[in-house]
Amino acid sequence: MTELIIKLTSIKNTKATSNNFTLAINQCISSNSITGIFGPSGSGKTTLLRTLAGLEQHIQGEIIFNGKTLLNSKDKIFIKAEQRNIGLVFQNSRLFPHLSVHENLVYAQKRSQQNTLSLDEIITLTELENLVSKQPSQLSSGEQQRVALARAILAEPQLLLLDEPLSALDQHNKIKMLTLLIKIQQQLNIPMLYVSHSLAELQQTADNLLVLAKGRVVEHGNIHQVIQRLNEHHTEITISQQTSLSLAIKQHDQTHGLTELQLDNQQSLYLPLLPEKLYPQGKKIRCFIFASDVSITLQEPYNSSIVNHLKGKITHLNKPANQQQKHSVLLGIDCAEQTFYSQISLMSYKKLNLKQDSEVFIQFKASAIKTLTNSTSLNHIITEESSC
Amino acid sequence: MIDADLIALFTTLKMAAISTIILLLLGTPLAWWLANMQSRIKVIFEAIIALPIILPPTVLGFYLLIAFAPQSNLGQLWLQLTGSPLAFSFSGIVIGSVLYSLPFVVQPLQRAFEQLENHYLEAATMLGAKPLDRFFSIVLPMTKASFITAASLGFAHTVGEFGIVLMIGGNIPGQTRVLSIAIFDHVEAFEYAQAQTLSLSLLIASFVLLTLVYLSNYKKVNHQKVSR
Repeated sequence: MTELIIKLTSIKNTKATSNNFTLAINQCISSNSITGIFGPSGSGKTTLLRTLAGLEQHIQGEIIFNGKTLLNSKDKIFIKAEQRNIGLVFQNSRLFPHLSVHENLVYAQKRSQQNTLSLDEIITLTELENLVSKQPSQLSSGEQQRVALARAILAEPQLLLLDEPLSALDQHNKIKMLTLLIKIQQQLNIPMLYVSHSLAELQQTADNLLVLAKGRVVEHGNIHQVIQRLNEHHTEITISQQTSLSLAIKQHDQTHGLTELQLDNQQSLYLPLLPEKLYPQGKKIRCFIFASDVSITLQEPYNSSIVNHLKGKITHLNKPANQQQKHSVLLGIDCAEQTFYSQISLMSYKKLNLKQDSEVFIQFKASAIKTLTNSTSLNHIITEESSC
Repeated sequence: MIDADLIALFTTLKMAAISTIILLLLGTPLAWWLANMQSRIKVIFEAIIALPIILPPTVLGFYLLIAFAPQSNLGQLWLQLTGSPLAFSFSGIVIGSVLYSLPFVVQPLQRAFEQLENHYLEAATMLGAKPLDRFFSIVLPMTKASFITAASLGFAHTVGEFGIVLMIGGNIPGQTRVLSIAIFDHVEAFEYAQAQTLSLSLLIASFVLLTLVYLSNYKKVNHQKVSR
């Protein structure tokens, strides 16, 4: 298990920070998978990543990575970036323009401390076979970012940092890169820290989530639990309230064009048919449902076109935290050991006379369940979040 | 071309070649240091380096002559180290040429280093490249055109200098008698035909060299436009 201990107390003014910015973090991150770092613009996500990488030198505190001290400002220890064996994929690809794609990849491989990865295997893994002889200027932004990812992997880092690597990509390439990231993580088992201001991206990729606001950690833990806490409690971090789930595929119903997900032994959820090749029976998938897509009824909706309906009990009642949502109410409803979130109007809330522990039925369309492959809907979400 | 002129040509080319190598070795770290300097003191160093552009060569030559004199500290140190005086020697005119041509090498390199995006160096760092490795694998190839410009200008400027060589080198055949001084000698002796041969040769050589420099810059600018 990779362990990263971060104790940062302050940062002096540098190019990357404004005058009054302070990074105050005391956090231990233990993970062998992808840890997401989420927060609004100016929360310190990129500065934290650059500090871990060793690109920010004016920092006070301590960083210990797998037992090795990378920074200790008291003892004046600062391990240079090139000696940390930490990789970084930047927002823009930063491919060397004087080298071809192949030469860019070889550049990283030559300088790798282990040099155990096969160049050809990584080229195949990142689907770059047809691009290796090209110059970086001949590539699209999505292709450039794939080369940058392959290049970072070929340096064989012990930890890979990703600084909003999808922000410059179009929707199609975003989906492609996310799928690739997950595949790479699973095959090569590289621990990753993935910075993004898109919760949809992180929900699909990260197992754990670290939430930053104004240079401080405000949440850390399992991705679903953190999203749940962000739904219910936070005023400094505003997200699109949602139910975040990891569910196993029960079966694919080709006749009706639906995929059935197992919620518990008795109950299932249905979403538009997923490709069976990529999603075999039993495989767990990440999905989420926006609270605004979930409605409430007091009687079981037998005669409804909506395919998903579940019985549950209201365990959480949240009056709006901000002005934009002042005419709506967020309900947390426990169904089959999961908490589902529903955002309804204040008028409906009063009309149905809802109270804590009331028994209700929730319902949502199959298309309300968003996944990575369900690309049209995810496209929509990523666009929506980017524009926020 | 008479033998004396051929010797002068050889002396000139030798002086220019050695000076250019020293200029690149000295000018590159100096330009890098200036390009990355954040302090306001930078402008003072830039002004000092740029002085030879506006200063009459005789002024620089005069001060170098004083500095090179056997009774001066530098002159004495040189005498002790090499056993020969610095003034009126080949080494003397090389040192003079280097100082005189320094801005022509430092300025294009400094501009190139300033324009080079730090992004690429950070990316190389994150792939494990150490500083010297980064210089040779990223900085040098990406600023190649500026190095060609700097070397060409340094070489051409050294070939064309007159005032400083006359002040600190005199006119010793095979030692300090360079082409520009040979031309001056021919004119003084009313040997206009020889003066014309040397002058025209220098004119054509300089024109060709500068055309090649501008051609390399033209190609670079057009390549960048196409890339965008």
